Amino acid sequence: MASRGRLLIQRILLVIVGVALLTGLVAYSEGAVIVYVHEKKPEGHRIWVPAPALLVDLGVRFVPEERLRDALQDLRPWLPAIEAASHELERSPDGLLVEVKDRTDHVMVSKGGDVLRVDVDSETETVHVSVPISLIESVAERLGTSGGAV
Amino acid sequence: MKKVLSGLGAEFDTGLCCLFVLTFAAAMATARADDRWLHVKVDDTGGEGEKVRVNVPLSLAEKVLPCIHAHDLEGGKVKIRGEVNGIDLRALVDAIRGAGDNEFVTVEDRHEHVRVAKVGGDLLIKVREDHDRSKVDVKVPFTVVEALLSGGKDELDITAGLRALRAQGDTELVTVNDNAQTVRIWVDSRNTGE
Repeated sequence: MASRGRLLIQRILLVIVGVALLTGLVAYSEGAVIVYVHEKKPEGHRIWVPAPALLVDLGVRFVPEERLRDALQDLRPWLPAIEAASHELERSPDGLLVEVKDRTDHVMVSKGGDVLRVDVDSETETVHVSVPISLIESVAERLGTSGGAV
Repeated sequence: MKKVLSGLGAEFDTGLCCLFVLTFAAAMATARADDRWLHVKVDDTGGEGEKVRVNVPLSLAEKVLPCIHAHDLEGGKVKIRGEVNGIDLRALVDAIRGAGDNEFVTVEDRHEHVRVAKVGGDLLIKVREDHDRSKVDVKVPFTVVEALLSGGKDELDITAGLRALRAQGDTELVTVNDNAQTVRIWVDSRNTGE
């Protein structure tokens, strides 16, 4: 009787682990937005945030229209350009797109695979952001078609 | 005999398939490889030691520009402001194109030398200034100049210019050298500027 109970628990655990794995796989199937920030000071924070692109994309779809309208006031004229740029970038070969360097700061924007990377290294902090290009296109498209004239 | 023929047929089919696959693969591989890149390289030789590198596929610029509607840029065209009123730029370019290779403008004074010429299908502008030992060289293919002026009156069709530039080979567009910085703008088929 006890062994049957143990077997049942094992099966339930297996299902839970399987579902969790599957959810993770689906969530990260579209890549991930990764943000890394490191403050260069004693006891400076080190933050690493990976967010599944699929959830970001879905999240944008559920933001209320009125909130989007306010947030998009300045961005809206640039959305078609962002959408076109990301669409074209997806098809472009990998490489360094922009690099600016002076005595204290170093900024690089590059494309690697289907990911757009922004790396900033300054005297005070290091920041790395990587975003799937398809996500940029999809979010720009979504924001561009979201209702409400600004 | 039948066996030989059927063997030949099989070889032919396999060969044809291989050829097709190879051709398709080559076409896919070169589909983006023929894209041309615009490179900008700025090196500040002064105190800050600033360095800027920009590498942009021309196809990207060509697609993005028409989507920008800001300031004087509208649908990939930019309004020409300043002292061009009354000057028919297109007629001027047509006249220069028909004139053959020549030096059209030469300005020389004690400190500055400016030269505008047409050489081998390119419009060349050379400026030399003595006070900061600056050298500016601009070379724009005539087809690009014509494409730029193909829009309406008093406007430059940047998208058409980029399209024409894409059709050109490797082109050195601008080089600036002076005491403080060096600037280089050029187009080639490589995705790296170094």
